[in-house]
Amino acid sequence: MLRLFLFFIAFLPILNASAGEPVRVVVTTNSLGMLVNEIAQPLVEQRQLELKVLASPGRDVHYLDARPSFMAAVRRADLLIDTGAGLEEGWLPAITANAANPDINSGQPGRLSLAASLQLRPSITTTGPHAGHVHRHGNPHFNIDPLRMAKAARLVARRLGHFFPDQKALLIKRSYHLEQALKQTAEYLSEQLIPGQRFIAYHEDVDYLEAWLPVQNIGYLEPLPGLPPTSKHLRELVEKHQQQEPARVLYARFNPDQGARFLNERLGWPTYALPLEPETPDWNGYKELLQVWANAFEQKS
Amino acid sequence: MIKKSVQKSLLALAVGVASGSAVAADHGNSDVDVSIILEGLFYNELSSGTSSPEGFGDSGHDHDHDHGDEGHQHGFEEGFGIGHSELAIDAGLGALLDGRLLLGFDDSDVAVEEAWVKTRSLPAGFQLKFGKFLSDIGYANSRHNHSWDFADRPLVNQYLFGDHGLQDVGLQGTWQLPTENYALLGVELLQGQGNTFDAYAEQEDVLEEQDSGPRVVTAFMKYGPDLGADHAVQLGLSGGYANQYVGGYDKHFHGTEPHTTAQIGSSWFAGVDGVYKYSSGKAYGEGDLRITSEYFYVARDLAQYSGDYHEEDGDYHLEGAIKGDSYTEEQDGFYVEGVYGVLPRWQVGLRAEALGLINEKWGGGHDTELDSLDASYKYSGQITWRPVEPVFLRTQFNHKDFAGDDGSSNEVVLQLNVALGAHGAHNF
Ligand SMILES: [Zn+2]
Repeated sequence: MLRLFLFFIAFLPILNASAGEPVRVVVTTNSLGMLVNEIAQPLVEQRQLELKVLASPGRDVHYLDARPSFMAAVRRADLLIDTGAGLEEGWLPAITANAANPDINSGQPGRLSLAASLQLRPSITTTGPHAGHVHRHGNPHFNIDPLRMAKAARLVARRLGHFFPDQKALLIKRSYHLEQALKQTAEYLSEQLIPGQRFIAYHEDVDYLEAWLPVQNIGYLEPLPGLPPTSKHLRELVEKHQQQEPARVLYARFNPDQGARFLNERLGWPTYALPLEPETPDWNGYKELLQVWANAFEQKS
Repeated sequence: MIKKSVQKSLLALAVGVASGSAVAADHGNSDVDVSIILEGLFYNELSSGTSSPEGFGDSGHDHDHDHGDEGHQHGFEEGFGIGHSELAIDAGLGALLDGRLLLGFDDSDVAVEEAWVKTRSLPAGFQLKFGKFLSDIGYANSRHNHSWDFADRPLVNQYLFGDHGLQDVGLQGTWQLPTENYALLGVELLQGQGNTFDAYAEQEDVLEEQDSGPRVVTAFMKYGPDLGADHAVQLGLSGGYANQYVGGYDKHFHGTEPHTTAQIGSSWFAGVDGVYKYSSGKAYGEGDLRITSEYFYVARDLAQYSGDYHEEDGDYHLEGAIKGDSYTEEQDGFYVEGVYGVLPRWQVGLRAEALGLINEKWGGGHDTELDSLDASYKYSGQITWRPVEPVFLRTQFNHKDFAGDDGSSNEVVLQLNVALGAHGAHNF
């Protein structure tokens, strides 16, 4: 029986894939897909690079199933780019540990976890009594900040350069243009807003708006990242903000709206259900998303 | 619980990997994650009936799980119980290997349920796993009870493979095809430690030598097409063979003459499994649907042996004994279950099970007659509440309609399950 088994193992590598294939890049979200698509557009058009996005844009990236189709995509990936800092930890480790692809192991050129090289917003769970919750490595939702996305663009360009050494200059140049576009759009949208507007976020994600818009986050509907809003916590928020200037409540479209409605009923604050990821993994999709986020606040007239 | 030295050394290996990686903790993959699953149960039999399905009574259990005096509890006891709790240590050795040590425990006993290393550095889609592990045949077999949708193991898995499913020491090799759709082929060589599928009557004075291992081989394939963001499917086929099966051991007297009989032969199985998941995209599992189903068929090619009298020790031995008539026992089992997220954090589930739709079982004694026994059925319904992700509280109702003399029974199980520490990603 043992001999039969060893024969099976020894025989199969002959069936391995051939050369001349495109470089397969797998990313977890449309935001990261946008970076790859914009930086490597000529390579995508010439089919030298094939991009696959795992998470559908309307989903909460914290909670996805480790689907068989993800396994198949990561098995064939030359480069896997993930957000990191625990955003995908509920499902991605089950994929990478079982996809039988040594190229995408941590530390390999085929793996880029962007959060590791970015300065993240601290989470209330990074230190202190609540340490160790879903955002213990910092707030991983940096895709909501175009300025951090600009930094991420540079990291992506350098890593793509490893796979296309002849195109390195082109990739760096394109990432520079993308950085400029991100920064200019952020600046433009920021200038349109009446400064000093305050908001409560459902989860520690849209608080990244504070990083590039003249707005201020004053709390969260979740008592801790990943814990659903409790009525006690919501009542405390109402009490705390009753005597203060009105603000607004922002939540992701996939979040339940009861918490936001509660604050709306008690405090009269407007509520906004926002998408967190672009519909399409490209600059147009992401630019539209920046506009949608900015529109959740009052514009200068 | 650890019977063989092989197991001890495997455990030592797994522990070695775990501690080794703590030293190399600055590498990306070498975090050591510790998690504890604690379970509390309350079980109440509302009306009692046939307790074990006809034809599946004591098919080669060599440890007394359900009787409570050895090993940790898997059958439910009336009243409160600690259920099935676990301590798991997951660690990596750089980008080379992943390792896991999982101890199952109750208030008096600890057992090594998993102690393995798995490669993550072989090329071309290959992976090897070595140690004590849960076989990847079927769907439920490789999963621990905190990720089941019901408080108890499916009957087909429990009665054809054992209280832990098919769990053994051995080597697994898998190959994931470089295809657009997920496709995985796997082979396992298992020692065959005398569980339900590869039963071995450990009677040293009667049957001196167990065949040399590995005594069990399995093969499986899994396939999952890409159906977009809302739907996902995984289908599986599996089969296996045990080259030594010893059951029905009996020592009795003809007058004053002691006499020994046993059923000796081999067994094999084949099964299909499938899981479908609908993901609504809403928060906390609202609107999500999961449907799982498995069917397994087991056949045992056996012969009735009678012991030989040996002058030296004045006892009857089965080794080289008189072989009687041959026959093939056949049994199967099936379940289908569905779980739906009715509200955020609330699930309801229904499960229907059949065991022994084919139920050709040796009748006992010196005969080689097979009895055609009736099928047993079980219907379950559950409501689960997950106040936060790592905690769930479940109420389950079972209606058991087991073949046998005492009729059907009803029972209710309350289950509280808490995951502490690192909560690892779950497989599909
Ligand atoms: Zn988050």
